[in-house]
Amino acid sequence: MRAIVSIATTTVGEAIRRRVLLIILLIGVLFLAVAPGLGVLSARSETTVLRGMMLGVIQLTSAVIAIVLTVYMLPNEIERRTIYTILSKPVMRWQFLIGKYLGSILALGLMMLLMTAVMVFFFWWQQNRDFSAVPDLLKAPVMYFIQMSLLAAVAVFFSTFVAPLVNFFLSGGLYLLGSLFNPFFQTLQESQQTPPVAKAFAWVINTALPNFANYNIQNPIINPGQTIANEGAYYFQVTVYGVLYIGILLVAGIWVFDRREV
Amino acid sequence: MNMKNNTSALKPILIGVAAACFAGQAFLQSQFIFPKWKQDFSPGRGKMVANGLSPDQMLFALTGFREMVAGILWVRADSFFDSGNYDAILPIIRLVTILDPRQIDVYATGMWHIGYNFTDEEQRSDRRYIPSALALGKEGCRSNPETYEMFFETGWMWYHKIDDDYSNAVKWFEEAQKRPDMLPARKNLLSNAYERNGQVDKSLDTLFSLYDSARKTFGEDKSVFGNRQNRDTLERKLDTTLVRMGQRGWFASKEGRPLTGYDVNPPFDVNFSCKVSVVDRRVLKFEGTWGVKPVGTRIRAVLKDADYPNAEPAGMLWDSSNDVNLDPPRDKTFMQEQLFVKNTRFNKKVDMSKDPTMYPFSGDKYVLELYYNARSAPPHIQDKFGWNGEGMTDKNWLNTEIRPGQRVIYATLPITKDMILRRGEWRDKVPVVKTSNFKEDTSKSYNSGDSFVIDLPALRSDDRKQ
Amino acid sequence: MAAAIETKQLTKSYKSRIQGNISVVDSLDLVVEEGEIFGFLGPNGAGKTTTIKMLLGIIYPTSGEGYILGKEIGDMDVHKLISYLPERPYYYDYMTGPELLKFYGSLFGINDTARFDSLLERVNLHRDKDKPISKYSKGMMQRIGLAQSLLNDPKLLFLDEPTSGFDPIARREIRDLILSFRDEGRTVFVTSHELEEVERICDRVCIINRGKIVRQGRLSELLKGTRTEIEILGSSVPAVITNIQGVTTRPLADGFLLDVPEIVSVNDVVDATRGAGVTITKIEPRKLRLEDLYEQAVGNNPGPIGDPGLKKTITVEEETTA
Repeated sequence: MRAIVSIATTTVGEAIRRRVLLIILLIGVLFLAVAPGLGVLSARSETTVLRGMMLGVIQLTSAVIAIVLTVYMLPNEIERRTIYTILSKPVMRWQFLIGKYLGSILALGLMMLLMTAVMVFFFWWQQNRDFSAVPDLLKAPVMYFIQMSLLAAVAVFFSTFVAPLVNFFLSGGLYLLGSLFNPFFQTLQESQQTPPVAKAFAWVINTALPNFANYNIQNPIINPGQTIANEGAYYFQVTVYGVLYIGILLVAGIWVFDRREV
Repeated sequence: MNMKNNTSALKPILIGVAAACFAGQAFLQSQFIFPKWKQDFSPGRGKMVANGLSPDQMLFALTGFREMVAGILWVRADSFFDSGNYDAILPIIRLVTILDPRQIDVYATGMWHIGYNFTDEEQRSDRRYIPSALALGKEGCRSNPETYEMFFETGWMWYHKIDDDYSNAVKWFEEAQKRPDMLPARKNLLSNAYERNGQVDKSLDTLFSLYDSARKTFGEDKSVFGNRQNRDTLERKLDTTLVRMGQRGWFASKEGRPLTGYDVNPPFDVNFSCKVSVVDRRVLKFEGTWGVKPVGTRIRAVLKDADYPNAEPAGMLWDSSNDVNLDPPRDKTFMQEQLFVKNTRFNKKVDMSKDPTMYPFSGDKYVLELYYNARSAPPHIQDKFGWNGEGMTDKNWLNTEIRPGQRVIYATLPITKDMILRRGEWRDKVPVVKTSNFKEDTSKSYNSGDSFVIDLPALRSDDRKQ
Repeated sequence: MAAAIETKQLTKSYKSRIQGNISVVDSLDLVVEEGEIFGFLGPNGAGKTTTIKMLLGIIYPTSGEGYILGKEIGDMDVHKLISYLPERPYYYDYMTGPELLKFYGSLFGINDTARFDSLLERVNLHRDKDKPISKYSKGMMQRIGLAQSLLNDPKLLFLDEPTSGFDPIARREIRDLILSFRDEGRTVFVTSHELEEVERICDRVCIINRGKIVRQGRLSELLKGTRTEIEILGSSVPAVITNIQGVTTRPLADGFLLDVPEIVSVNDVVDATRGAGVTITKIEPRKLRLEDLYEQAVGNNPGPIGDPGLKKTITVEEETTA
């Protein structure tokens, strides 16, 4: 445990100093600062546009950060040989992998926290210093954090056996696919023209692949006034889902990494 | 403890853990999460797409960022509004409503834009778009069933823009009323719609109900000016309606009493006649008679292809489609104008030459329709004509069939493309079509339709009897 | 004395599409005794780093056995007693020296600031405590590496090219440190290309080439014997001299240097030289150097792993200890 915590802490320290991540974060923050201006440009839909834009920026920026942060994590350690000085100590490979993963999501969480703070500030300012809508708004970043933790786990798993560039596209592609599949699956389910075989296949994929769309809960926040029954239960379920899937990916990653020649 | 052996020993446990996690997530996803997401968090709320939207069109929409993209697009649309590039707005409206069907504002603005903004140089609406506007409204209702707004907007389109089939306005306003978030001030419109639809008793019942509610609200908080205003408005409306109902013989006929001289009997012969001259290429001059001296009559003139799809008398099947198709029948022509009557005459030039896109005149045969319905008349005219045209007649053009339960004035005049475009045999002569009873007005008195002087009849003048 | 490191037929093979199975390390039988400084030599690509990685449990052998301090390689308990300084190490450059030691210390469960300070003093970095590692010179990097390798008071240290690329003063400092490790009773396993340094500090050496051990034993034993250097004038070496087996030649500014091993008669070479009419300018006997041994062992075929060009099989001479 101690080794995991140390490795995680070091990973955070490294991550928050990586220039490319800081640049992506800065771009995200700038977009958030600009968002109220866009909202004003759309009379009648000002708050809708503002919410949609801000939450979208946070989600998009976080996804890019999550992928860029994790695809290079293991390969960098191997290339720079820092992994040797660690694995030569009484640190097991799985401890190293878990430590790196936890450190990466902690760093990601800090960056998302910063963006959320910026969002809350500008939203509060634009809403004439009214704080009442803010708690509702905060649900989305929390769900996005779990979503990005899942994405980070995907990238960490792939990083145990593919090169960073391939990993970038694999993880990004899986994220798009996993975000696309809920609505796509829904459409297939409801369409009369879809053959049963295709529906069954879609069901398998929807069940097997990591489903990122579950965390896209922003619609009722962007278009408020909707009543959602058992909202808390849903958030709990998707959190458990995320933890389970992250568990699968980390176990698989440990398995692969354990056999990997470094 | 050897590292390798330790991991090897744990491998069956790890496999078991991974398998259990996989089964757990699959169960959660399929049984709980996906159905709940579909119901509450999918932008379509159970109906992801409009009817008929295919999966590949869905794929086009970006997923987790759809609301953000929708927002950006809508901001872009705003700039097109400012610059007047109305055609460019249409695809954005469609895309935004696909991306986020929960954005009610886009539906409402889109409907209004489609229904009202496409006009010719003389500000006549392009009515070919109205079915699309209605289809958009209906889709907005399906996507947002829990709020009143889209139902209200759709009803308004029927009530104000189409201004003919009020039963549909009633239907949509009733739906809007059922939603708990309906604004109190807007509820009054349902009573208006009932009245326009000839359901006077329902209008009255609605007014009484609204009045009781307004009085109760006012009683609870007298300090709010809006509460007082709402109560007073409804009270006035109630008074007026009751007076009108009496005036128009509604109570008398219900109770079997004889009708008095202030009511709708005997029906007044409006003596309608009309001549349409093609004074220039694509320019029509409407002139004619309408025997009603009080100002306020607007006769509807419609020019459309003889084979216009889904045509109905003096209009079309406005509610012809549930699919949102922002592309109207561009090869068809539909012109609708209101002919204002002054001094028992009307005289109006309709110039369609500046808008060839809106009036393509691709076909060979057209029909001119002249139409008047007392349901759309202002109150002082309705005082005579009644809600269903009981107080109105015309020996030549009264029609009781095209609008069941109503007495309307309706005349049709066939006209051809060659006549409208003044070509062929019509190159050098003025095409004229007219009703059989039309007589030229040779008098140059101020009583002609051209005059700026309007002759107002006395309130109890003998002129009432024609 | 117990062996600090012992391998039996330790082998590491990789599959190559062109050449099939390549043995990067081939049937290594290595013995390193406790308390000695052991030099592990070989040309680039000989399999040195691969061997170290196997011993550290970073990679897994294809076959054979390996033991560190009596326990099988990969044993976590052993990792508490060993340390490793890689060649060209890289550390988290935002950290300072003390922070780095604290990090590595935490992996052992050590959080002793006084200890970290004393280690920094030992490697002469105590004056640069606040400097981030990104600003360290190469020598400082190596020294902080040595400091981290001493954190757990190891019994066995693996040092991969510890003096590579350093100036003579820095090399001496590191050399003195390594010697002090031995004085403290630690075992040091060193790889290096600096044969002079190895000759100065190592007790025993092993030379590998193409994954196989070609020499292993105590230096004093391996370097027994002498060689004779004969300088001659001329623009070429007569065939009668080059035909003498074991004699190697090296060009000089105005002639050649003939290197005559002990097994060859110096008189025969002198006679042949004079017989060929070549002028001899100097005859000098000298001790066998590690460089000579290395050259002899690796010969003219210091090829990379998997290179099928090795034509001569060089026998391994087993060390016979007293």
